[in-house]
Amino acid sequence: MNQMTPNSMLSIRNLTVDVEDKTILQGLNLEIGKGEVHAIMGPNGSGKSTLSHTLSGRDGYQVTGGEALLNGEDLLSLETEERAHKGVFLAMQYPVELPGVNNMTFMRESLNAVRRARGEEELDAVSFIKMVRAKAAEVKLDPKLLKRDVNSGFSGGEKKRNEILQMALLEPQLAILDETDSGLDIDALRIVADGINALRSPDRSIILITHYQRLLDYIEPDFVHVLSAGRIVQSGDKQLALKLEEQGYAWITGEEAA
Amino acid sequence: MITLGKQRSWFEQQLAAGSMQRTGENPQWLKLAREDAIEAATRLPVHNRQHEAWRYTSIEGLLRTSFTSGEQLYQQHQTTVDNLLLPDFDSYRVVLVNGQFNAPLSTCDDLPPGVRLESLRTALDTNPDLLATWFGGIANHSESIFSALNTALINDGFFIHIDDNVELQRPIEVVYLNSGLNISEDQQLMMHPRNLVVLQHGAKATLVERFVGTAPSSYFHNNLTEITLQQNAALKHYRLQDESRDAWHLGSISINQQSHSDYRGVTLAFGGAWARTEYHLDFNHEHASCGLSGLYTVGDKQLTDFHLTVKHRVADCRSREQFKGILYGAGRAVFDGHILVDKDAQRSDAQLSNDNLMLTRNAEVDTKPQLEIYADDVKCSHGTTIGQIDPQQLFYMRSRGIDEATARSMLCQGFAAEIIDKIDLQPLHEHATERLVTSLKRASLPGTGR
Repeated sequence: MNQMTPNSMLSIRNLTVDVEDKTILQGLNLEIGKGEVHAIMGPNGSGKSTLSHTLSGRDGYQVTGGEALLNGEDLLSLETEERAHKGVFLAMQYPVELPGVNNMTFMRESLNAVRRARGEEELDAVSFIKMVRAKAAEVKLDPKLLKRDVNSGFSGGEKKRNEILQMALLEPQLAILDETDSGLDIDALRIVADGINALRSPDRSIILITHYQRLLDYIEPDFVHVLSAGRIVQSGDKQLALKLEEQGYAWITGEEAA
Repeated sequence: MITLGKQRSWFEQQLAAGSMQRTGENPQWLKLAREDAIEAATRLPVHNRQHEAWRYTSIEGLLRTSFTSGEQLYQQHQTTVDNLLLPDFDSYRVVLVNGQFNAPLSTCDDLPPGVRLESLRTALDTNPDLLATWFGGIANHSESIFSALNTALINDGFFIHIDDNVELQRPIEVVYLNSGLNISEDQQLMMHPRNLVVLQHGAKATLVERFVGTAPSSYFHNNLTEITLQQNAALKHYRLQDESRDAWHLGSISINQQSHSDYRGVTLAFGGAWARTEYHLDFNHEHASCGLSGLYTVGDKQLTDFHLTVKHRVADCRSREQFKGILYGAGRAVFDGHILVDKDAQRSDAQLSNDNLMLTRNAEVDTKPQLEIYADDVKCSHGTTIGQIDPQQLFYMRSRGIDEATARSMLCQGFAAEIIDKIDLQPLHEHATERLVTSLKRASLPGTGR
C-alpha cells in the first residue's frame, strides 16, 4: 500500500503527532487515490480529529515523524492557508462563528484567495453573487444566511450546509469531513449527504471521519479504516462499517467495550 | 514630575499667548465670561494623577510643550483640500482651518428658513443676543481648567440654531483642518474652537464633525461644544477624530436634553498622539433618550481616552453607551464611563459597555464603567471585556485560504462593525471603514510586536 502510484492523491507514511507532549498518532499509514472516498472510524480518543487537524495545519499539533504527501508534494511543511490553496479542505465538526464577518464577504475573500494562489483571475462581485446563489440552492441553504454573519446563530444543520457550500465553491482536491454527521437529524443528514455526493468526482478525494455507520448509508465509501491508538488497525470495504456497527470496536482494538 | 508651580505657569503662559489673538470688539457678556474663565484658569487645580478623572491620562507631555495661538495663515492648495473632503457627500459644510472659519472652503449658504449655521465670529457680529442666550449655558468653565482655557481664548467656532419643528434634511458637516506646520521649533500651535448647537422644540438635524490632521505635525486642539436639545428635538451627531498622529486633541461635548428629545451619537477615534474626548450628558426632563456608540483604535505612541458622564436626574429616561476599542503595538486606551441615577430618576433605563480587542502584548487599556444609583426602580447594567483574537476563528479562516493578516483584519472589522454600522450616511460609513482598514494595516506592520 505504501507505494506512490500515479493515481495517488494523499499518501501518509508512518506519521507520528504529539498534542501537548502526548503522542496521539503513532505511525499512521494511509493511501488515498484520486476520486476515492475513505471512511475513517474509530473509538473516542483514537486520533481521528488529530489526523484531520494535522492535515489542515492547526497549531498545537506537533509532527514528530513521518510524512504526508499531497500529489507527491510535502503537505506538512505548508502553512494552513497554503494547504487550502493546494486544494485541501476541512469541513469542521464545529464550524466556527465569525461575528461581524459577513458570510458572502467571507466566501468571496476565501474563493479569491484560492484563485489568486492558483493564478486564476479573481471573481468580481456580480459573478460571485450569481455563483454563490446557485451553489447555495444546490445544498439547500437559505439564501438569507448568505447575508448574515458567518455561522452566527445558525442551527447545527445550517452550519454544516454552510460548510458544504464552501466546499462546493472552493472545489478542493482533498476534502476532509470531520464528523459532519454529528448533531444532525435525519433530514439534515440527508441534505448534507446529498451535497457531498454531488461533489464526488474522479478528481476529488474525500475522507469521511465518523463515529457512526449511519452516514455511510448515505455516502457510500470505497474504503473503510479503523483508527485505534493512533494507527490504522483494520481496513476494508463498506462491510467493515456494518460489522463495526454490529459488534463495536472491541474485537479489533482488543479492549472491552465501554 | 512637573512641579505644581510650573504647571500653573504653563496655563498662565497659554492665557498670555492667546490673549493677543482674540476677536475684535466683544460684547460685554463675552468679556465677562472671558474674565471669569481667566480667573478660573488661574484658580482651578491643575490636573494630575491624583484626580480620579485624570488618573490614567497624563498631561505632563502637554505641559512640557510651549504653544502659541498665533493666527496662522493657512496655505493649502485647493486640490489637497479636495482630497480631504468626502466624495459624494451632500452636506452644508463649515470648514475651520486651524480653528478659524474659512469661507472659501465652506458651503453653508442656501439654508432653509429657520436654520442658522455660521461661524462663531459671524454670529457675534450678527446675532450677539441669540448667542448670549445659549453661550456657556451648559459647559461649566468654572469646573474644568481646559474648558476655562477654551473660554478664555475663544477665537472662533460654529453656531447652529434650528427653529421649532424644522427638520433639516441634508447633514451639517463641520470639517476641522488642522496643521501645525510653519510654526517654529520650540512653539506649537494651539486652537480653542468653541461651538454651540441649539435644536428648538421638535427640530431635527444631523451633524457630522470631522477632525483632520492635514500633515504630520504637532498641535493642540482644545474643542468645546455645547448642545441643547429642546423638547422633542432629535440630533444625530457623528464625530470622527482623525487628527495628526503627533497632535494633542481634547474634545469636550456637553449635552442638555429636554423631555422626549433624542440624541444619537457615533464617535470614532483613530488619530492623535494624545486624544481625550469627554461627553457630559444631562437629562433634565423626563422621557428623553440618548445612544452613544464609540470606536477607537490605538497603536504605538498613541493614547486615546474617552470619558462619559451621563446624569439621569429625572425619571423615565433611557441611555445606551457602547464603546469598542482595538489596541495594537504599545497603544494605550482609557475608558471611564459613569452613569449617575438620582433618587428621583425612577424607571431609568441605562446600559454601558466597553469591549477591547488587544492585538499585542504591549497594548494597555484602563477601563472603568461605573453605575451610581440612588433610585430603587431602575433597569441598569454595565460591563467591560478585554479579549484577544480567537485562534479558532483565525484557523477557520486560514483553512479557507485567507492569509493571516487579512483574516486578522477581517476579524477586527467584524468586531468594529457593530459600531460603524450605526452610521447611516453611506459616504461617511465608507470613509470610516476605509480609515479603520488603514489603521489596521498599521497593526499588522512588522515590529508592532505580539
